[in-house]
Amino acid sequence: MIPFWYAVVSFMLIIYVVLDGRNFGAGMLQWVVAKTPEERRQVIAAIGPLWTWHEVWLVGFGGTLIAIFPRLMASAFAGYYLALFLILWCLILRGISVEVGGHINDRLWQGYWDFNFVLSNFLLAILFGAAAGNVARGVPLNADGDFSMAFFTDFNVRGHVGLLDWYTVSIAILAAVVLAAHGATYLTLKTEGPVHDRSEKYAKRLWIAVTPLSLAVLVESRIVRPDLPGRAWSNPLWWLGLVVTVISIIALVSGLAGRREQRAFLASNFLIVGLLATGAAAIFPVMLHSTLAPENSLTAYAVAVRPSTLRIATIWWPMGFALAVFYSVFISRRYAGKVSVQRDTQGFY
Amino acid sequence: MNSIFNDPGFWHRLQFGFTIVYHYLFPQLTMGLALFLVYWKWRALRSGDEKYNQAVRFWAKIFGLNFAVGVVTGIPMEFQFGTNWADFSKYAGGVIGQTLAMEGMFAFFLESAFVGALIWGEKRLGPRGHFAAAIAVALGSWLSGYFILVTNSFMQHPVGYQLEANGSLGISSMSTYLLNPWAFVQFAHNQLAAVVTGSFVVTAIGAFYALRRVHPVQAKLYLRAGTFVGLIASMLVAFPTGDAQAKMVGNHQPITLAAMEGKFEGGSEASVSLIGQPNVAAQRLDNPIEVPGALSFLAYGHFGSFVRGLNEFPKDQWPDNLELLYYSFHIMITLGTLFIALMGFATLQNWRGKLESSRLLLWGLMLAFPYPYIANTLGWMTAELGRQPWLIYGLFHTREGYSKVVSNGDAIFTLIGFTGLYFVIGLLFLGLTGREIGKGPKEPTVATIISEPEREVVLV
Repeated sequence: MIPFWYAVVSFMLIIYVVLDGRNFGAGMLQWVVAKTPEERRQVIAAIGPLWTWHEVWLVGFGGTLIAIFPRLMASAFAGYYLALFLILWCLILRGISVEVGGHINDRLWQGYWDFNFVLSNFLLAILFGAAAGNVARGVPLNADGDFSMAFFTDFNVRGHVGLLDWYTVSIAILAAVVLAAHGATYLTLKTEGPVHDRSEKYAKRLWIAVTPLSLAVLVESRIVRPDLPGRAWSNPLWWLGLVVTVISIIALVSGLAGRREQRAFLASNFLIVGLLATGAAAIFPVMLHSTLAPENSLTAYAVAVRPSTLRIATIWWPMGFALAVFYSVFISRRYAGKVSVQRDTQGFY
Repeated sequence: MNSIFNDPGFWHRLQFGFTIVYHYLFPQLTMGLALFLVYWKWRALRSGDEKYNQAVRFWAKIFGLNFAVGVVTGIPMEFQFGTNWADFSKYAGGVIGQTLAMEGMFAFFLESAFVGALIWGEKRLGPRGHFAAAIAVALGSWLSGYFILVTNSFMQHPVGYQLEANGSLGISSMSTYLLNPWAFVQFAHNQLAAVVTGSFVVTAIGAFYALRRVHPVQAKLYLRAGTFVGLIASMLVAFPTGDAQAKMVGNHQPITLAAMEGKFEGGSEASVSLIGQPNVAAQRLDNPIEVPGALSFLAYGHFGSFVRGLNEFPKDQWPDNLELLYYSFHIMITLGTLFIALMGFATLQNWRGKLESSRLLLWGLMLAFPYPYIANTLGWMTAELGRQPWLIYGLFHTREGYSKVVSNGDAIFTLIGFTGLYFVIGLLFLGLTGREIGKGPKEPTVATIISEPEREVVLV
């Protein structure tokens, strides 16, 4: 039961990252792929009508986390207190800038909200990246399974660590570049005209930049968490994640090279799924690693609700998820097709 | 150095209270408005009259603005269970986590998937599809209300739980938990109160247009629907739902009922005070004007029933902000009574065909829209202040629930951040909503066929 629910909760977060990650990426790149005010509205229109649908998956993840692993949720959210509020405020700013920008057709007004849009999306990618780095590295959990962490201490990865150190910062950078590449691939599929052409160019460059960065992070991870590889190799899901990653890389390269936009974007989605799935499988069953003492680490088995409550969730949760999949089909049909600069094809503005 | 300001619990409560009160300004309108959208869309389908579609288009825009602010201010609510109330989540997460997750999976997904279709999808979906989208959004918003009220009802009147071996709570019976009698009454009371907010806002805009003599067809539609629904909902909020709510508090939280009424000494033929200021130090109500026997009747059904006073309970079980609780409850009741009177009179005038011509009444209807927001907020303050000092009634103290690892410095910092951010959101929301109201619904009448500058002249 516990491995299943661990996979479910990880999967919910991964879906959120894949869905909203495209918005972070497209948002970050808005100023470089779109030069005129009309082109910038085109980028907003490419993600605009769907941002609440994407963001709601974060709520789905948060809810599932409280329902299944309340002990972990309490410990992690209270420990990451300030960082989490920065994420929430950036999400608020991002949502507001998407919504209010289009209400007034004025250059200064839209320019101002475009700025907030780019900034909040960039910060979101960095903050989520740093959060992922913290999960991989571990946090200073005490014997009660609680922690409280400064933004930075001595930039080292052991003992009383801070939110930011050389390792978490490099994962944050990798996350920003991967999501920017993901967003560029999305805009290539979703737009036409000059925005499309620039996005295509950026997608190729950014995915090339991902290669050395991810290799560097791989080496760093080996140093920071020498205990992980052994655990990972004995987990079949890790191997599955690896297979997904490798197939996605091949599909992505062929999609980008052959200008098959649909294939490239699908591959980009699955590449992120594969990368995060290998990460999630590698740390299992530890959900939060302690940098102070390994015995303080919180495992999925220790933080989950009792089996009787788990059984209840096993009944209703799949129904909720099936409905969500059904809505996804509706949405992907309704919002299919490209957004052009002249015409409002998404009914958004 | 030992004041309330050093108490971390105070800051966590203040932040949660502030963010939830602010957040709930938006869902209460969308839940109420969703019914109007479904109703008008249905009328449009049945009659083919274009004015109903125009109403839906206009109100869908207002709905969209409220929905967006509701989403962005709602996400911090879920996360604060972990960030600010970690010890509560550790203790009760095994129970309340179920409904919080169900809200996300069953309600939010539904609502957010179809809200875009409702606001922008009329042409693509066609009339039937658009009607279905309105129903989906309404259903999603009401379901979300139910799951949240089940969660809150567990905190008011815990049922269906068991104490696990590790000292935390788990679910013993999911059906008992989901069908908590407290949740039924609170859901009915709360949803009707949301309909009151929706109908007052619809009425206010109708009155505004009628007073300015613009959009006459739409103004009439809003005034008629708004005042009629407003009257029915205001009456149902008071009776039977408000009445049932008070009886439930009387049966399960007698201390809360005594505190709500400022009743220090118990007795039979207990009175309801219409006016009076609780003086906790002297343990009496100052300057009271009272209706004898009314509380006994309202709480237990007989004028002679014995109502217990606060003095019968140990002081550490009294709600810790007794004065605010007393005022919240009393102002809510007063407002609720005024709502029935105002909407009753407006419905009467409407029936006599005089609603659009009585300008004084239209002014009153236009300026009345903030008060249901106030009454809704006060209702929630009554419920939550009345629950104190418990976080889960009788099981878990509020002072045990906050996150012990979060310093006051961190808590005050985020409170400042929310204050600033929500102030800006409030300004934007008011400005943009004002613009949409100024633009108004598009009517294919003479006024819109004439070009804009000329129209100004016509209106003057």
